[in-house]
Amino acid sequence: MMKRRLFLKNSLATGAAVVAANAGLLIPTTVLADWNKKAFTAKTTDDALSNLFGSTNATDSGDIILKAPAIAENGAVTPVTVDASKMNGVESIAILAMKNPLPLVCEYTFSANAVGYVSTRIKMGQTMDVVAIVKAGGKLFKAKQEVKVTIGGCGG
Amino acid sequence: MTIKIRMRGKSANGIAEVKALIKHPMESGVRMDKKTGKPFPAKFIDTVQIMVNGTKAIDAQWSGAVSANPYLAVKVKANAGDKVTIDLTDNTGEKGTGSITLK
Repeated sequence: MMKRRLFLKNSLATGAAVVAANAGLLIPTTVLADWNKKAFTAKTTDDALSNLFGSTNATDSGDIILKAPAIAENGAVTPVTVDASKMNGVESIAILAMKNPLPLVCEYTFSANAVGYVSTRIKMGQTMDVVAIVKAGGKLFKAKQEVKVTIGGCGG
Repeated sequence: MTIKIRMRGKSANGIAEVKALIKHPMESGVRMDKKTGKPFPAKFIDTVQIMVNGTKAIDAQWSGAVSANPYLAVKVKANAGDKVTIDLTDNTGEKGTGSITLK
């Protein structure tokens, strides 16, 4: 059983890489110019962060309000809210699901006329930590919360 | 085909919360088709741009791990009567635009 799991996991990963490569060939590069492919196809959170922000060194901050359910009955639609409006000079917010095959979920870059707040719904394959990384004043800050994903709706 | 966006927005004290519901499958390219043993081809929104009166406010990049039919809420500095626009592009080049005049 374990071997089958591993096999599936590995074949998933290579499959994704092939699809990504194909997509790269078919789509005019101008469309993807903005999209940080390296960060979004990174398989570890450290890789994703270093490609995105150039650093993996984030300090915990109580000023980031990360709202996510303690128990998600459906991992495919987990509501996540990141509110960093208490912090000054918020440049960007990234949301990562630590154990997803591709951990980086989304990244928002803010201009001066925006507030460091974002609310969305993300997919999660299993119970894991959701991490919000906030870049403010050139430094990285983080907040995390564990979300239990229950399958089958028994809510336990 | 264009991507459909439904938007709502209301301004209070100079800050507007804009909510959007987007109709999109958000296929990550990782999910397997059990019948063929191959992954479903990736089709997800990868770039999102939010503008206030034509000025860029928020640039977002998404992966296929954003839920299908994505919900998005952001806050921008804008007053009633200002126009907020959302522009989307998915990884196949399909585009969508939605705009709203704030209340």
